[in-house]
Amino acid sequence: MKPTGVLFFPAFDWAISPTHPEREERLLYTRDQLFEEGIMDLPEIREYKPRLAEPIDIGAVHFVVPDQKASLLEAHFVAAGSTLVLADAYMKGEIKNGFAIVRPPGHHAMTVSHGNRGFCNINNEAIMIEYLRHKYGVKRVAVIDTDVHHGDGTQEIYYHDPDVLYVSFHQDGRTLYPGTGFMDEAGGPLAYGTTINVPLMPKTTDAGIHYVIDHLVLPLLEEFKPDLVVNSAGQDNHYTDPLADMRFTAQGYAELNHKLAPHIAVLEGGYSVETALPYINMGIIMAMAGMDYSNLREPDYARENFRESFRNLEAIKKMTETQLNLFRHRQDTIDKNRRSQGEFFSEYQRIFYDTDYIHEEQQMRLRNCPDCCGFRMLESTAQQRNGKLYRVLCISVPINCCSACHDQGAEVYQEMIRYDRYDYVYLQDRIKREYRSFNTEKAEESIIK
Amino acid sequence: MLIGIDVGGTFTDGVLFAGQEVKKAVKRPTDNNNLQTVILGVLDDLLAAVPAHTKVQRIVLSTTLVTNLLATGKGQRTALIMIPGYGLPHQAYQLSADTFFMKGAIDFRGREIEPLSAAEIKNLADQLKQMGIKRAAVAGKFSNRNRNHEDQVAKILKEEYPDLDVFLSCDISNRLNFPRRAATAYFTAMISPEWQRFVDEVERALQQRGEGIEVHVLKADGGTLPLETSRYFPCETIFSGPAASTMGALALTMDKHNSLVIDIGGTTSDLALLVEGLPLQASRGAQLMNQYTHVQAVSVRSLAIGGDSPLIYKNGRIDILMDRIGPAACFGGETATVTDAFNYGLSLQQGDASRSEAYLQKLAQASSLDLDDVCTIVIQQVVNTLVEATDDMFKEWENEPAYRVWEVVHQRHFTLDRVVGIGAAAHSIIPSVANSLQVEPFLHNYADVANALGAAVARPTLAVYLHLDTARSLCAVEPGGIVEECGDIDKYQLVDARHLAMKYLYQLGKERGMDDYLDDHSIFLEEQFNLIRGWDRNGRIFDIGAQVAPGLITEYQGVRR
Repeated sequence: MKPTGVLFFPAFDWAISPTHPEREERLLYTRDQLFEEGIMDLPEIREYKPRLAEPIDIGAVHFVVPDQKASLLEAHFVAAGSTLVLADAYMKGEIKNGFAIVRPPGHHAMTVSHGNRGFCNINNEAIMIEYLRHKYGVKRVAVIDTDVHHGDGTQEIYYHDPDVLYVSFHQDGRTLYPGTGFMDEAGGPLAYGTTINVPLMPKTTDAGIHYVIDHLVLPLLEEFKPDLVVNSAGQDNHYTDPLADMRFTAQGYAELNHKLAPHIAVLEGGYSVETALPYINMGIIMAMAGMDYSNLREPDYARENFRESFRNLEAIKKMTETQLNLFRHRQDTIDKNRRSQGEFFSEYQRIFYDTDYIHEEQQMRLRNCPDCCGFRMLESTAQQRNGKLYRVLCISVPINCCSACHDQGAEVYQEMIRYDRYDYVYLQDRIKREYRSFNTEKAEESIIK
Repeated sequence: MLIGIDVGGTFTDGVLFAGQEVKKAVKRPTDNNNLQTVILGVLDDLLAAVPAHTKVQRIVLSTTLVTNLLATGKGQRTALIMIPGYGLPHQAYQLSADTFFMKGAIDFRGREIEPLSAAEIKNLADQLKQMGIKRAAVAGKFSNRNRNHEDQVAKILKEEYPDLDVFLSCDISNRLNFPRRAATAYFTAMISPEWQRFVDEVERALQQRGEGIEVHVLKADGGTLPLETSRYFPCETIFSGPAASTMGALALTMDKHNSLVIDIGGTTSDLALLVEGLPLQASRGAQLMNQYTHVQAVSVRSLAIGGDSPLIYKNGRIDILMDRIGPAACFGGETATVTDAFNYGLSLQQGDASRSEAYLQKLAQASSLDLDDVCTIVIQQVVNTLVEATDDMFKEWENEPAYRVWEVVHQRHFTLDRVVGIGAAAHSIIPSVANSLQVEPFLHNYADVANALGAAVARPTLAVYLHLDTARSLCAVEPGGIVEECGDIDKYQLVDARHLAMKYLYQLGKERGMDDYLDDHSIFLEEQFNLIRGWDRNGRIFDIGAQVAPGLITEYQGVRR
């Protein structure tokens, strides 16, 4: 039997600020627990060393404004690179599955990155998915986000991509950052139904969450038939998390992981550093390695502590039915959208970066293509933390788009770099794996290597 | 004068060393059933060569006693009593048939989660009595952060069953990794009385041969331990053989280069690395009976290939066998061996070279190959096996897990400077290996006694681990099993923690007679965490490691070439 790959990268020398939830201490007790258990010595586990992601791997997902060197820290490259180590190990058949217990997290980072939002600068999972698509030709991917916060970054990155199913359950956006993830956020016009959100009431317990897994997530996976299942393994649904208000347990997380059987899991949030993380991380590793996790529990856990309310369970049942229905009829909606619109779909968004206090304004235009999911143009304006105002145009050509969209995207780029309307014009050509950036002030083009 | 004795699987080597020269070298066959006799025999041969009015200052023994006792099942039946609490399933910790799991749990900060059950422990005492088990090792998860449970278990067991010998895991190691701690305690309990007997006998024998000789045993990490201190840590003496040859390589080279050390024995080769002049240590600790332990050991890769490995022609190919038949043909053996292939193939003119040729000729006839081709095939296979294992070792070292951004950004890279050959067969084989690795070979005329020399001139080592949790006033120190409340550490900064680690290093080092080496210490671990609760700091956690690393004793000034 192949082992489970574990990449433990606690980044003991990185923090957002000394007292921030994302501080050095975050995985200290997880380290203590994992090492004291001796789980890394077991034949079921193989430990991996992190590496740095290459700028081109990040360029395949993000437009980092103004550029990666100016905006990212080494820690970001290591966390993203760690997921690539496990992706390679999995694809080469060294491991049956893998868990990247890494910091900094990534699921709030969107396509355009002006700074840090929700503790994230770049999206570790998306970087891994694009790497897998390019290097190994993986086609269909499902991302199951089990963080208590809505993974609005991952959702945005794959909102218009019908080949990536993004499913998130989380504490209702009316009660928690980032304030999104409602049921009607179900994917762009040409990728409708492959974004599925389940906002849960605060204080939802194991029973409620497992209902979502059993009656929605597992059927979705069954029908979508992904080549690869990725788990954004946030751990803040836990009943002791200081930032959220759910009632999920370490057993609940282990059981969830066992059912989900992700190929690769990546740690996201989870800030109950002492009373949750050591136990949940143990639970996930044990579940992934196929070990018996019945002896795992938090010191203060008692089964009778939490009971799901009848009303909440009824509401959850209704939600799962609605969402499954939406997914099953997604093609009808997509066909209707294609017929009903002109050449471009357009959407305006304001994005708030809570960590860096940046307000970004974004105008998105998506080509209404008859043959594929279209290419995107994002016009983004933001005053960054250092006071600089950037107005940029980002053209994103996805890996699964048609040649007409591909060529048109490249043409728009060539056209737009002739004007000084934007500070930067970027082209993200995933088909040719070419990531260009044009500084209009200096009239300089650079290519991300 | 210095004496080093290295007990190997086949032979026991001893050297008498003084003034940059090996004055006498002794080799005797090892008798695993009677190690004391062999050791004392070698010792007497060496002592006989000591000139009148000259004193032997120090004897270092590298012995396989502990490994043998365990491997041959001569360790006494021992109960392993574990307090695993919550986490992995208990069967993951089933080290032996006599493993018993007790209630009780401690967490990573040393807080009790669940109390022990005194009744359960009393029952266990009865059960052990009935089973006739006289030794027990007690290991609790996180006993390195709170030793109360282990202490209580020992107390109740001793009250109920006074004849039971009880060993506590926290006395033996304070580092994280409960199964390794349990295994180390378990093996210690199994062989401790036999080790005490061995120490007694050596001490008695030495008293008869002259007072005042300092006696040390070589440890797996390449350092020595006073014989008396080894009574508490017998498991530290395992795998001292590879440590001896690695220290021998250091003694012969005496610089800070990156060396690959290959000790070519009769039928095995041990590979080790000197990284900037320090023996590379195994990151997970030594493995005993397929269990990882907390014994710090030189990282060694053993291959079943040596100078005396016999060659045969079978199933249409030339093969190298694993089991020794006798010496190489050129040294009077009756089979062509690896040494013969190198001897003839590379015209080394060792021993009776015509015998190498004659025996290889038989293989050539059987395989209808050219005599030269036979040699080339064997040489290639040996060199490839060694080079592949070397590459693996480099990669493994470079791919050790890293937990800091800094470590990942500053990627480790091993650049080999040379290959040091140890063992009699090294002279024939090592030049080809070095050539294949594109570095210089290093072969010394003391290469075949380098292991005993390495033991003789290795200095004592000591590693102190300190864990401080200021919010819980917790101070834990290894070695020594100190896990105690420390009232005055709440204002500690990193520099204070470092000072405290130093204090323990000097205190424990002086107890072990290491005064001369303590100033040559280094910090190998330094971690500091601010504990934030709410928006405020309520304490700090420090992990400090201070050590006297493996090295050579000050008296040793190198060897004359």
